[in-house]
Amino acid sequence: MSKLRNVAVVAYSQAPFVPCDVHHTSTEMLYPEIRKALAACGVEREAIDYQVAGSADYVDGRVFGFVAAVDVMGSWPPKQDLHLEMDAGFAAHYAWMRMQAGDCDTAMVCGYGKPGEGETNRVLNLQLDPYYQGAMGLDLASTAALQASAYMKRSGSTDRNLAEVAARNRAAGAKNPDALLKDVATADELMRTSWQVEPLRRGYLAPTGETAVCLLLAAEGKAEKMCRKPVWIQGVDQRAELQSLGARDLARSEGAALASAKALEMAGVKGAAEVDLLELSALTPAEEMILLDALGLPPLGNRGPVVNPSGGPLAGSAIMMNGLVRLGEVFRQLSGTAANSVKDARRAIAHAAQGHCLQQNLFWVLGSERRWS
Amino acid sequence: MSEPPEEPIRYIDSTVYLPYDYVAGDLKAIYLRALKDKRILGSKCSKTGKVFVTPIPASPESFAPCNELVEVADTGVMTTFCVVNIPVIGRDLELPYVASSVALDGADISIFALIRNVKPEEARMGMRVRAVWKPDGERTGSHEDILYFEPTGEPDVPVERFLHRL
Repeated sequence: MSKLRNVAVVAYSQAPFVPCDVHHTSTEMLYPEIRKALAACGVEREAIDYQVAGSADYVDGRVFGFVAAVDVMGSWPPKQDLHLEMDAGFAAHYAWMRMQAGDCDTAMVCGYGKPGEGETNRVLNLQLDPYYQGAMGLDLASTAALQASAYMKRSGSTDRNLAEVAARNRAAGAKNPDALLKDVATADELMRTSWQVEPLRRGYLAPTGETAVCLLLAAEGKAEKMCRKPVWIQGVDQRAELQSLGARDLARSEGAALASAKALEMAGVKGAAEVDLLELSALTPAEEMILLDALGLPPLGNRGPVVNPSGGPLAGSAIMMNGLVRLGEVFRQLSGTAANSVKDARRAIAHAAQGHCLQQNLFWVLGSERRWS
Repeated sequence: MSEPPEEPIRYIDSTVYLPYDYVAGDLKAIYLRALKDKRILGSKCSKTGKVFVTPIPASPESFAPCNELVEVADTGVMTTFCVVNIPVIGRDLELPYVASSVALDGADISIFALIRNVKPEEARMGMRVRAVWKPDGERTGSHEDILYFEPTGEPDVPVERFLHRL
C-alpha cells in the first residue's frame, strides 16, 4: 500500500436523539452541533477548509433542503461545499478523499434530517426501481425480512438468535446517553413482540428518530493541535452492489466482505478479529449477523471484538446519518470519551450502509496510532 | 417473442404520494404568530447586529447566533423588482403585476412581495411601499396575512441608501 496522508477524526457532536423534535427544523438542530464540534477543538469556523453534508431531501420533504444547511454551516465567505444524497458516513469518505488530494487540511462533515415530518417507509420505497420492486410497495421492513429469511435459512439462525442480537444492542444503548432507546429489553421480551414482517418482529427493527451530527476531520500537523487524542484513519473502502434485490445473494454481503477486506488491507491489519470494537450500521439483527459473517467474525457478536457498544441503530436509527454516527461513536471510544467505554480500545471498525439490504457498504479502520510515517 | 407488441405500453403510471407535516420550529412559530398582530419580527445577529427577516437561528454571514428577536416596520423600500406577464401556478392574479424585493425599515435583508396599486411602468427601485394587511379578525398567523404591498407616496429613497440590502 502506497503512502497516504494521515487524517484523523478530531471532534464529534450529536444533537439529542428524539422521536420528533417539534421545536426545531433539521438545520436548526444542526447549527449548535457545529458550534460544539468547533469549540471542542478550540477553533473558529475559519479553521475549516472544506465542508460536506449527507442527507436526503425526501426525508423531510424540503426540495433542495440541503442548501438550507449551507446557511447554518458558516459558509461565508463562499466555501468549497459538497452535498451527498446519501448517509453522511459516505460524505466523510468524500472529505477524506478530498483531503488526500492535499489542498485542504481540515473538513467539516454534517448529517441531518427529520424523518418525523414525513413517512419514512414511503420515502425509502423510492430507493427501489419504479417499474417492479418499488411498484410492489416494498419498504425497508419487507426487504429486510426477505434478507433475514434468506440469511436464517443459510445459517440456521433462529428467532431466538435474532432476539439475542437485538437485546445485546438494546442493553448497550441503555448506557449511551445519545441513543434514542435507553430502556433495556431482554431477548424473551423481544421475542414476544408481534411480527412486523415475518421473520422480523417489531422489537427487532431499528426505531427511527431525529438528531443532527457534525464531525471534524483534520490532517496530520493540524489534528494534533485540534484534539488531545486524535483518532487516525488507517484504512477505508466502499463498495456498491446491484439495486435489483433478485440479482443479489441476500443471505450474504459480498460488498461488505470486499470493502472490509480492502479497508483492513489498507490499514495493514490481518483481520477484523484484531480490532477491539466495531460500530455497524445494521438496521436489523440479521443485517448485523450478515455483516459480522462478511467480516469473518462470530455472527452473534458475543465473542471477539465488542459489537456496537453504542447500541447501534437497533437502539435508534438516524436515517441518512447512521454511518456518520458510527464513525463518531468510534471516535468517542478511541479518544476516551464514550459513555459505554470499551476498556483499552486502540483500534476499531466503523461501517456505513446505504440502500435496501446493505446495497452499499463503507468500512473504516481507525486507531490511536498514525498509519503512515 | 422478440417482436415489439403492436400496441406497446409506452409508460407506466406511478404516482408518488409523499405527505409531510412541516415543523415550523419555535423561531418561525413566534414569527408567524406575530403576523396575526400585524407585527413583523426579525432575528438580530449577536455579532454584527444585522437583522434577518424572516428570522433565522444563525447568521450565514458571520456564523454567530441570531438569538434576539426584534420588530421591524411594515414599511420599506423596493430594492429590485420584475413585471410578471405569465401566470404562475398557485397564484390567480390579474396580469401583468409587479413582484419585488422589499427591504423593510429596520431589516438588513429584503423579503419578496407582491406590489399592487401601481402601474408596472411606474414601478421603480427606491419606491417606498407599505404592507396592506388582512382586516382584524381575519388574520391567521401566516404569510397570507399580508395581502400585498402598495406605494406610500413618500419620496423615493436614493439607491445608495439601500444598495447593501439588495
